Amino acid sequence: MSARKVQRGSNNSTNVRPPLRFGDDLLLWAAWLYYEEGLTQGEIADHMGVSRPSVNAYLADARVRGIVNIEIAPERFRALSIARDLQEHFGLDDCFVIPSTGSDSPLVDRLGSAAAQVLTRITRSGDTIAVTWGRTMLATANHLKIHSLQDLRVIQATGGTTAKIPWTPEACATRLADAIGARCIPLSAPAIVSSSAMRDLLIKESVLSEQMEVLAEANRIVLGISSLRPESTIHTSGFFDGIAMHEHYHDAVGSIAGRLISATGQAVDGPLEGRVIGIGLDEVLAIRSRIGVAGGMDKVQAILAALRGGYVNIMVTDADTARAILTSEGVEKGRPRPSEASPAALPERVQVKKFLNRPKDAVDESIAGALLAHEKCLAPIKGTTRALRALDGPRTGKVGLVIGGGSGHEPGFLGYVGRGLADAVAIGNVFASPPPDPILAATLAADGGAGVLHIIGNFSGDLMNFEMAAEMAKAHGVLVKTVITTDDVASAPADARAARRGVAGNVFVFKIAGAACDRMLPMETCFALAQRANERCYTMGVALEPGASLDTRRPSFILGPDDMEIGVGVHGEPGIARAHIATADETADMIVDRLLDEMRPAEGDEVAILVNSLGSTPHMELYILNRRLRERLKTRRIKAHVTLIGHYYTSLDMAGVSVTMMHLDPELKVLLDHPCTSPAITIS
Amino acid sequence: MQSFTRHDLASLFRSFAARMFDERASLGVLDGEIGDADHGVAMAGGFEAAAKSLVETDDGSQTLGEGFSLAANALLNAVGATTGPLYASALLRASTLFGDTKEVPFERLPEIIIAMCEGIETRGHAKPGDKTMIDAWSPASHSVRLGLEHGADTVCILEQAAQKAAEGATSTRAMMAARGRAARLGPRSIGHLDPGAVSAAALIDAMATWAAFATSKDVS
Repeated sequence: MSARKVQRGSNNSTNVRPPLRFGDDLLLWAAWLYYEEGLTQGEIADHMGVSRPSVNAYLADARVRGIVNIEIAPERFRALSIARDLQEHFGLDDCFVIPSTGSDSPLVDRLGSAAAQVLTRITRSGDTIAVTWGRTMLATANHLKIHSLQDLRVIQATGGTTAKIPWTPEACATRLADAIGARCIPLSAPAIVSSSAMRDLLIKESVLSEQMEVLAEANRIVLGISSLRPESTIHTSGFFDGIAMHEHYHDAVGSIAGRLISATGQAVDGPLEGRVIGIGLDEVLAIRSRIGVAGGMDKVQAILAALRGGYVNIMVTDADTARAILTSEGVEKGRPRPSEASPAALPERVQVKKFLNRPKDAVDESIAGALLAHEKCLAPIKGTTRALRALDGPRTGKVGLVIGGGSGHEPGFLGYVGRGLADAVAIGNVFASPPPDPILAATLAADGGAGVLHIIGNFSGDLMNFEMAAEMAKAHGVLVKTVITTDDVASAPADARAARRGVAGNVFVFKIAGAACDRMLPMETCFALAQRANERCYTMGVALEPGASLDTRRPSFILGPDDMEIGVGVHGEPGIARAHIATADETADMIVDRLLDEMRPAEGDEVAILVNSLGSTPHMELYILNRRLRERLKTRRIKAHVTLIGHYYTSLDMAGVSVTMMHLDPELKVLLDHPCTSPAITIS
Repeated sequence: MQSFTRHDLASLFRSFAARMFDERASLGVLDGEIGDADHGVAMAGGFEAAAKSLVETDDGSQTLGEGFSLAANALLNAVGATTGPLYASALLRASTLFGDTKEVPFERLPEIIIAMCEGIETRGHAKPGDKTMIDAWSPASHSVRLGLEHGADTVCILEQAAQKAAEGATSTRAMMAARGRAARLGPRSIGHLDPGAVSAAALIDAMATWAAFATSKDVS
């Protein structure tokens, strides 16, 4: 169906086009208005500027051709409704949102392609198009091809830069002009000059002043939007070289056309004031079509600022970015569609029942009870209620092992204190690191003159408090070395291992380090073995229900009746993704695939397995999962040397599981089998 | 009001503690969205402990530096978590600011904000835009510097700082967390306010309110 045919069918309007979000797809537009907006065929005819019989034909055609079912697929659908929401919320003239998934091309490339479509649709003969610079601008130019128009001009929106990047202002303008057969007008000056006097002088030069006049005549502008995050391209552009950004531009969150803007879209002035050659923000606002092309989560704040400032009236972005922008503005994202409604949810748990006295006493009372339950193993440390030591642990000449962290990770961390495991533990509030004082008390209690090893999960609170305690211990003449565990594969990609959380893999790392210390190995060796144990541990968690806070007795997050949360941590927080709930075998497969993918074991290798309840998942389900895990390992010819099943590292009472695998080697295997006695693990 | 004394410090911390107590539930809700919901409890507990230690030792013998230092230790040992070390470092920096004097001119009060911001930056290494408490402290600190340079009125400086901190806290909604627990949520952290920035803005606002009240008492 071509645009010409529409115009023939129209009585009064020869120029009605579908909004950008529908591309050129009239059937999709008609189907949307009919099925989504609930308009009658007559209303649609008025809306689209076509006759009612045409609408009828479109709808029939859409049905016959399966467009209603196929074209308005969930991702397209969502992009369409998000585009509408964005357009309405910011009062945009139009908005084009591309799906964030569904293609392998990089986002910048796909945004460029979408922007090229937009330009193709709105460009008219005689237009003067200003263009900024950057990756997305270059991608736009690369995707563009217009033959049929005349008297086009493309003008560089800012002066040039000598930075060694392919997407300089000159390159973007030249490429765009070539693509549409336009005359290209450069700005024959640098974007930033040394002083405002120099700028004033240059602007008076006839070549540049003529070019600036053309810039003032631009009726369209294509704008990239840059964030000021350290990873953004602006830092390679050469635009702000030699400027202490933080010093002068602390209010700025983004940049358009080399000008800095604040979160509310106001211009932010600084030492560059008067030294920029190029279009000003006020001049941008005076241009009729202002097409912003940008996407990516790091740019959300900058795009939001550009939209709030009104610098953009036609937005091109992707669905994830658009959704994040709307969420940031407090707009409900992608309105619920009747077709997406799930079966009626069970009544939400509004109050969770707990055996508690005063919530604030919970941690102290539980420590008191644990001490009584394990009085042959644990002893208090004088002067603090938040540190315990092993009765049969610290010895002269032995490296001391101190562990610790927040409460709520039962039976951690006091469960791993005893002969052959940790010598002392520091205990924080629920999911909160202990302060330095009890950590210091534990460290001094564990000291046998050979130094003390701290093992903690990679959480900022633990890092800071243990670091402070280590400094204090040093002042007491006790040498401390720290191992930070990072086994949670879901929390960061493999190349950013150091950023990962330390979760249930702790159990194996404690065991290895405890055995090494118990064997009276020197500090360097104990440290290296603990490090190696951590490097060979891989964990992933999945939750079926959130846990509940002791204070509020409310769920820690809300999970729909058909949802499961993938990549959960151990602090009751949401995970990295939400998915439709899967069977036990599918869940086990998903986990095992991810873990083995990183571990890359060879045939015949051995592993230690921990199938860990996150709190309220019973053994029955853990056994079911374990069955499938072992089936998968068997076909890969991988042996499970040790299997631990149960509550080893919970997230209070979250329903869910985490699976840890430690890739064994002969030395780790021996240490794993070394005897130990503690509340949670006993090996004789 | 001519000077800021050790007695005023105790009074200021009582205001901080009262404000954190009031904000406890709402901070918990914010933290629940991207963390573990304990930020309100931690802030309220920490500043309550700090205020208590300052009030109990308010016998005229201590210097301002000793007072800040005492508050820092009380807060640290009551809280732990991330809040403890960050605010303890902030208060320790403030304690070196006023050193061993027992009172300073009231006009120097806003410098506390600059010092606390530096203490937090040094301990936590967060940068503006990382979606942390720095996104409130940093704009407030810049605004104080500006105000002091222009010789503005103390209460005005603090009120302006409070407003900048509030704006900074609001702007965290559009940020993707790069530090702390929320960083693990990646893009899912967008759309939520950072509870640390919100509590920071509340503290600075409490300081401005306290200063306005103290000044008004002085006039009457």
